[in-house]
Amino acid sequence: MSNIDNSLKEIGKLNDLQQRNQWLNNIHPLVKLLLTVIYILLVVSVDKYNLGQMLVLAIYPFMVFNIGDLRLKEAIYRMRLILPLVMMVGMFNPIFDSSIEAGIISMVTLMLKGIYTVMVAYALIATTSIEAICYALRQIYIPQILVVVILLIYRYIFIMGQEADRIMTAYKLRAPAQKGINYKAWGSLIGQWLIRSMDRAESVYESMQLRGFRGEYAYASKAKIRLADILYLIIWIGVFAVLRFTDIVDVIGGLFI
Amino acid sequence: MKTGIEKHLLHIENLSYEYERLELVLKNISIDVYQGETVGLIGNNGVGKSTLLKLLVGLLLDYEGTLEVVNHPMVKENVNHIREHIGYVFQDSDNQLFMTTVEEDVAFGPRNYGLSNEEVEKRVTKALELTYIEKLRDKHVYKLSGGEKKLASIATILSMEPDIILMDEPSVALDPKNRRNLINLLNDLEQTKIIASHDLDFVYDTCDRVLLLYEGEIVADGSAKDILQNKELLEDNGLELPLRFQG
Ligand SMILES: Nc1ncnc2c1ncn2[C@@H]1O[C@H](COP(=O)(O)OP(=O)(O)OP(=O)(O)O)[C@@H](O)[C@H]1O
Ligand SMILES: [Mg+2]
Repeated sequence: MSNIDNSLKEIGKLNDLQQRNQWLNNIHPLVKLLLTVIYILLVVSVDKYNLGQMLVLAIYPFMVFNIGDLRLKEAIYRMRLILPLVMMVGMFNPIFDSSIEAGIISMVTLMLKGIYTVMVAYALIATTSIEAICYALRQIYIPQILVVVILLIYRYIFIMGQEADRIMTAYKLRAPAQKGINYKAWGSLIGQWLIRSMDRAESVYESMQLRGFRGEYAYASKAKIRLADILYLIIWIGVFAVLRFTDIVDVIGGLFI
Repeated sequence: MKTGIEKHLLHIENLSYEYERLELVLKNISIDVYQGETVGLIGNNGVGKSTLLKLLVGLLLDYEGTLEVVNHPMVKENVNHIREHIGYVFQDSDNQLFMTTVEEDVAFGPRNYGLSNEEVEKRVTKALELTYIEKLRDKHVYKLSGGEKKLASIATILSMEPDIILMDEPSVALDPKNRRNLINLLNDLEQTKIIASHDLDFVYDTCDRVLLLYEGEIVADGSAKDILQNKELLEDNGLELPLRFQG
C-alpha cells in the first residue's frame, strides 16, 4: 500500500485512541483544553535560563501520558515531522548567548518548551475528538468562524488524503510492475487529485448545508461536567501554581540539606 | 399512506436546465407531487435524474421555468426555508457523511435546528433503529462498509424528519437483507418520497407512481404497475423490464 494509505491509517489510529473508553478520554473536553492551554502558557513563560523549573514541569506531560495510557514511542513517531523543527529552535543559542554555558542552558530550555508543548497537544488530540475540541474552543469564546474553519480544514485534509489514496491505488493496480509512478503520469494524476478533492469538498459542504448548517457550530458535547472533571482541573492548576511560583527545586533541595 | 387533505408539495412547470450552456439536460419538464406520494424516477445513466433531484433542493438554481417546493418558488431567498422541508440522500454516501462517528453524523441535522439534547438523542435513536444500524452508533464513519454507509446516510436524513425525502440510488450497495429492510422502511414511512433509481424491482416494491425520463424529457408518468410492466415502453427508452417480469 502507498505511503498515503499509511498516513491515513495513522489518522485512523488517532481516531481509535480518541474512541477508547478510558479515564482521560472521559474527562470533559473543556477541562482538557483549558489545562492544555494553561500548561502551554506556563511553559512558554518560564525564563530561558531556568532549566530547573523546566525539568520539574515535565511532570504534567508525563503524568498525562501515563493516565491516558499513551505510548511515548508512538507519540514521537507520529510527531516525527514536527519534532526536528522544535529541536532546531534553540540550536544557535550556544553561539550567540552571552557565554557557551548559558547558551547551552537556554538551548535545552527552549527545546524542552517545544517538546512539552508538542506532547500535551498530542495528548489532547489523542484523547479528544475534533468535534469535542471545537466544542470546547467555542466554550472559551473562540470566534465561530475560526472554529468552523479549523473543522473544515481538518475535514478537507482527510478528503484529500482519501482521494490521493484512491488515485494511487488505481494507478498501481494498472501498472503493477512499475516501481513508483512514471514521471509522465504525475501531471495528470495531480490534476485529477486536486479536481476530485475539490469536487468532494464541495459535495460535503453541500451536504452540510442541506442539513441545516449555516456557519454555526452546533455540536454539543454529551458529557456533562462532573465533580471528577472539576477536581481534575483544580488539582492540576494547584500543581501548576506550586511548580511555577515557588522555587520547588530549592525547596526540595532544602529538605535534604 | 394518504391522510386528510393532500398538500401540494411540488409544482414543476416547463422546467429546463443546462450545465454551463452545453445542451439541455432537462427539457420542459412538468410534474406535480402531492403529500404522501412515493414517486419513482427512472431512466438510464446520464438522463438527468440526479440533476432533477439537485434542482429540488436548491443545489442548482439557474433553471428556466417554474419550480415550487412546499408552495415556495425556488429562489435564493427561499432556499433555507425549503430545505427544512426536504431531505436529500446523496448518490455517493462518502459525500454525505462527514462527522467522526455515525451518531454524530445523524445528530448533525437536528442539532443545527437548535433542538434540545434530549430531542436530538431521541431522533438519533429512532433514525438508527429504523435503518437497523443501532449497533453502528459509535462506529467511525470512515470504517463503514459501502452498504452501511448508505444506511447511515439515510439515517442522517430521517433524523431531520423532513416532509419530502429524495433518494438517489438508495438500493445501490445493499445486500439482499438490507435491501429488503430498506423496502420495508420506505413503505412504512409516511413522508412523501421521490426515489431515483435504475433498480426497477426496487422501484416496483416501493413506489406507487413512476416518472420515466428519457433524454431529459418525461416520456411517461403513471402508476408503477402500468409503466413497469410495459416492456415496449421501457425498451424504447433504454431500460428493461424489472427482473421479476422477465422470462
Ligand atoms: N457538474 C456537471 N457539469 C456538466 N455536466 C454535468 C454535470 N453533472 C452532470 N452532468 C451531465 O448531465 C447529464 C445528467 O446527469 P445526471 O447526473 O443528472 O444523470 P443521472 O440520470 O443521475 O445518471 P446516473 O443514472 O448515472 O446517476 C449527464 O449527461 C452528465 O454528463
Ligand atoms: Mg445519478
